Amino acid sequence: MSIVSTDEFARLTEELRSGAEARAGGTDTMARLRAGLDAGPFADLGGLEELRGVAWGPNGGARIGALTTVADVAADPVLGAAYPALTATARALATPQIRNAATLGGNLLQRNRCWYFRNPEFSCHQDGGDSCPARAGDHRGGVAFDTSPCAAPHASSLAVALLAYDARAETADGRSDPVQRPLRELYDAADGTRDHVLEPGEVLGVIELPAPEPGETAAYVRATARSRAEWPLVEAVARVVREDGGSGRVARVAVAAGAVARTPLRLGEVESALEGAPADPSEAAKAVEGLPGQCSPLPGTRYKTTLLRDTVRDALERALA
Amino acid sequence: MDTTVNGEHTTVHPAPEDAAAETLREELGLTGAKIACGQGVCGACTVLVDGAPTASCLLPSTALEGRSVTTVEGLEGRHPVQRAFAAHDALQCGYCTPGFVVEAAAFHDRWRAEHGTGAPDRADIADALSGHLCRCGAYEGIYAAVASACAGRFDEDASSGADGGARTDAEDKITGRARYTTDVHPEGCWEAVVVRSDRAHARVERIDAAGAVHVDLLPEDRTVRYAGQPVAAVAAPTRAGARQAAARVRVDYRDLPAVLDTGTAATPGAPLVYADKEERSAAPSSNEGGTAPAPWRGNRRGPLNLGFRRGTAVKRLNDAHARGDRLLFSAEFSTAVQVHTPLEPHACVARWEGGDLYLNVSTQYVRGVAREAAEHWDLDPERVHVRAEHVGGGFGAKSALSTESIAAVELSRLAGAPVRLVFDRSEELTDTGNRPGTRTRLAMLADEKGDLSALSIDTWGDGGVSIGSAVAVHGMLIYGRAPRRLRDFDVVTHRPPGLPFRGPGGPPLAWALEQAVDEMALRLGEDPIALRQRWDGNPKRAALYERAAALPMWRDRERGARTGRFRRGVGVAVSNWPYLLDPSAQVELVVEDGCVVVRTSTQDIGTGVRTVLARVVREELDLDADQVRVETGDSGPVPGPGSFGSRTTTSVAPAAADAARRLGERLRASADGGPAASRENLKAAEGLRTTGTRARDRRGFLSPPFNNAEMALGRGLAGAVHVMEVEVDTRLGRVRPLHCWAGIAAGRIYADRQARNQAHGGVVQGIGYALYEQRVTDPVTGRTLSDNLEDYRLPGIGDAPEIEVYFHEEGWEHVPGGGVGLGEVSTVGVAASVANAVRDAVGRRPLDLPVRPDRLLEGLR
Repeated sequence: MSIVSTDEFARLTEELRSGAEARAGGTDTMARLRAGLDAGPFADLGGLEELRGVAWGPNGGARIGALTTVADVAADPVLGAAYPALTATARALATPQIRNAATLGGNLLQRNRCWYFRNPEFSCHQDGGDSCPARAGDHRGGVAFDTSPCAAPHASSLAVALLAYDARAETADGRSDPVQRPLRELYDAADGTRDHVLEPGEVLGVIELPAPEPGETAAYVRATARSRAEWPLVEAVARVVREDGGSGRVARVAVAAGAVARTPLRLGEVESALEGAPADPSEAAKAVEGLPGQCSPLPGTRYKTTLLRDTVRDALERALA
Repeated sequence: MDTTVNGEHTTVHPAPEDAAAETLREELGLTGAKIACGQGVCGACTVLVDGAPTASCLLPSTALEGRSVTTVEGLEGRHPVQRAFAAHDALQCGYCTPGFVVEAAAFHDRWRAEHGTGAPDRADIADALSGHLCRCGAYEGIYAAVASACAGRFDEDASSGADGGARTDAEDKITGRARYTTDVHPEGCWEAVVVRSDRAHARVERIDAAGAVHVDLLPEDRTVRYAGQPVAAVAAPTRAGARQAAARVRVDYRDLPAVLDTGTAATPGAPLVYADKEERSAAPSSNEGGTAPAPWRGNRRGPLNLGFRRGTAVKRLNDAHARGDRLLFSAEFSTAVQVHTPLEPHACVARWEGGDLYLNVSTQYVRGVAREAAEHWDLDPERVHVRAEHVGGGFGAKSALSTESIAAVELSRLAGAPVRLVFDRSEELTDTGNRPGTRTRLAMLADEKGDLSALSIDTWGDGGVSIGSAVAVHGMLIYGRAPRRLRDFDVVTHRPPGLPFRGPGGPPLAWALEQAVDEMALRLGEDPIALRQRWDGNPKRAALYERAAALPMWRDRERGARTGRFRRGVGVAVSNWPYLLDPSAQVELVVEDGCVVVRTSTQDIGTGVRTVLARVVREELDLDADQVRVETGDSGPVPGPGSFGSRTTTSVAPAAADAARRLGERLRASADGGPAASRENLKAAEGLRTTGTRARDRRGFLSPPFNNAEMALGRGLAGAVHVMEVEVDTRLGRVRPLHCWAGIAAGRIYADRQARNQAHGGVVQGIGYALYEQRVTDPVTGRTLSDNLEDYRLPGIGDAPEIEVYFHEEGWEHVPGGGVGLGEVSTVGVAASVANAVRDAVGRRPLDLPVRPDRLLEGLR
């Protein structure tokens, strides 16, 4: 499982360098095309068959091809056993007929959902403009951690789960050997002009996950108004590794949140508050207490500070149960 | 490019930016899959790609290469799920049905392979169908259809003559055969696109269409008053060409100051939406029954001031306030702007042929559109032909000759070709009407005996450039004649206009009034149903109260303060609705090829009126299903009613019965003692024709006929009681409707399944209103932000509670046929019942609708 540097791949990367946009499942690019935000041309990655599916390394870690559909991630029982919060996240996002077309890579590199960015009548930092109309406008879906001129949170749910699993991203540009970086380095919280940092011509090929720890548990929680098929107000993944192979105190915990910041976010202070604590759901409430105070919300996103606290608490309680 | 579609190897020639849905519909003519949202949200475009349900509106056509596609047409009506959808009436307008059917068929096949005939539960079905939206709200039938198909109950092809309650057009809708306006595409047809203002208020100095075939759509004063207002429309031989032409149109605006919220609009010195009397007289209205004159002050219009003993009411309330009366409840409520959102957008295909004008329009009113078109273009009415064979929902937004038709007709004349104009979802959610938002101040006083002593309701309507919000006035219709003052105001702003929407004015009034009554029951320590029964003046509802009070959901509900994260609550709300009818409605029967053909110029927008007509004629003449054919959706035959104001069935069903009686008499005369409607006798009666009319009610109507004699107000009010159970997640703020009981008193039910389906839909739309739907405009520019189905949130199948419908069929003996409409009364009280259930669960009253998680959690803090 890796990008094969064929002539075909080199040609695709050249198309991308000359301004084409990468299109995988098409669920985001076609939506923007139809809304008049994008006019193409597109470089279709669909033919890179080697980037579909899951391979398992000798150490027990998974390598997932970026063109694997979200539905295939959701339904893979082996992935589900190793990384339950990843498959749970995949099952919770979008709808069955989107998940059947949308890909892992497309989900990680999709554009944000800000209703100003998605409306062709507005210009903003994300499309070459020099302002953010959401700040003076209605930004109820905006960030609770205000770190860049753009106020739109990152839209990828899978990135939240992968961040909690310490995933790495492998990219290639058709000219040199593939390179790996931690998943979080796909994103830049200070950059308000784009939703990922890959340069034109760089293709996300594989996501690599470390092997799960014995007895680790994890949970995903998505706060929404409707029961299904909705972008989250806040989402969180909690992953707990216990001492003594799963029976002891909390050895390590990973907590990641989405829909609150320009990037999927690891919540380090919550994690350190729990390390060494008894592995008991009652520990969660105290660990998340300080979260609202760490936020820097906009006037219209204050609700997210406490909702973040309570969503993370919910995920932790489930992972600790 | 090679692909396989419905088992046949096919070569297609898509452009690189085409979506699979476009290739299937335009190039292959497979119009079953619809493009309703264009964003992969609603699921109407779903097809199977290598067996997997896929949103074809977002799937690049290039991705079809070498794949195998199955569309709804490929299921050929033979899939068990299709039979189940028909038998359980799991559809109304049918526009979403092909998508649901394809997804449900895939789910069924997977489920059967894994589980045999064990029926899936509601959560399994909701998970599988979560990517589909049915605006009519037929989810209860869909749950039942999918569950019973999975249980194997539709494995056999039931080809018996019995229709088992299916609607007469079910077969066309489940197979994708039903043709909607958006599916009509005559040879040589051009496509049109509307150019809209991105300014909220401006004078248009100049329009340069860059040589395109175009029509100016501005009003005489050359002023745009909201962002999204049509400025012009262009046409070209292809949709891509029309879009390019639209992009080249240059409009020179001179910006004018705008008011974008009601608060600013009401302040002294605010820029005026309408500067003088003449401009005000051209304001559109969101009111169904005409707009009474009222004074203007700046951007505020009103009040329209009604009531009983208004002075007494105000004095009692003031005195109670001064003495701090415990039985005085006062509060300010608000409701959001709700958008009709039929899944079929506004659409028209226009063509001129030898001086005759032919229109296919997605409309609730073929007859009205034809008349308006004749007036607009000064044509002989005989030369205007309007068709709407199937209509993908309306809810009040499609009742007039509007932009899509006017533009298409003008452009067709200029282009010398048929022209099709289909709104996209953004246009549909911006500028096709809405239920105005409201702010309501309510004060209610009970006396020491617990009787209603005084009531005051002031409502400010937020209908954008529209006037005519009539909310408080509905307080005349309920809770006896205790003193009350009811005042309606409009506050106009530079935002898109409101239009009548299913029960105009009713749901926002119920939101405030039914919460107030609930609060009074709490203060009086009385059961909320018992209190309503005491105060109510509607005798038809007494039976509903008794049933509601005996429901286990009500009787055994938890009392006292709830604790814990998830809290359940039960709430009740009641509503009345006026009984309107079209006294001019007629139905014509003609014997053709041994079949009785039923014609009237009404249309079936999903209400099931075709089915009602077929039933009435069959019962009257004792005919088999295959001996009756209903043809509606054409302006040509005898006059029929528009599909609004809950008046279609009560207008046409008695006329159909009358026509059938007349036909029966003629047939009997020729039957020579044998059965009148025998196949032989019918065959011999070829060409026989009778026309039936809508007889007057006993003791007549309350009003003389108005609106071109097409409307009259009858005696009596339809009534409803809704009992709702919800579960509130007090941590993450979600409200989950669990169960709803809908008791409806609208007299005789003509077609039971279809009437229940309407009542289900009323509940689902009320839940959307209560919890999710909110039109949002940008406070700086006035542009609509919620212009897609992700941001304008309709309830999905997983949000629908289990619904039980009870019909009380007595009390309408003065009406021919014994039944009146129920479309509106089915939804009026629903949102209020949700509010009262939330109050019961968490001890806090939600004053602002929708009850979003952020608001709910804020209230609990």
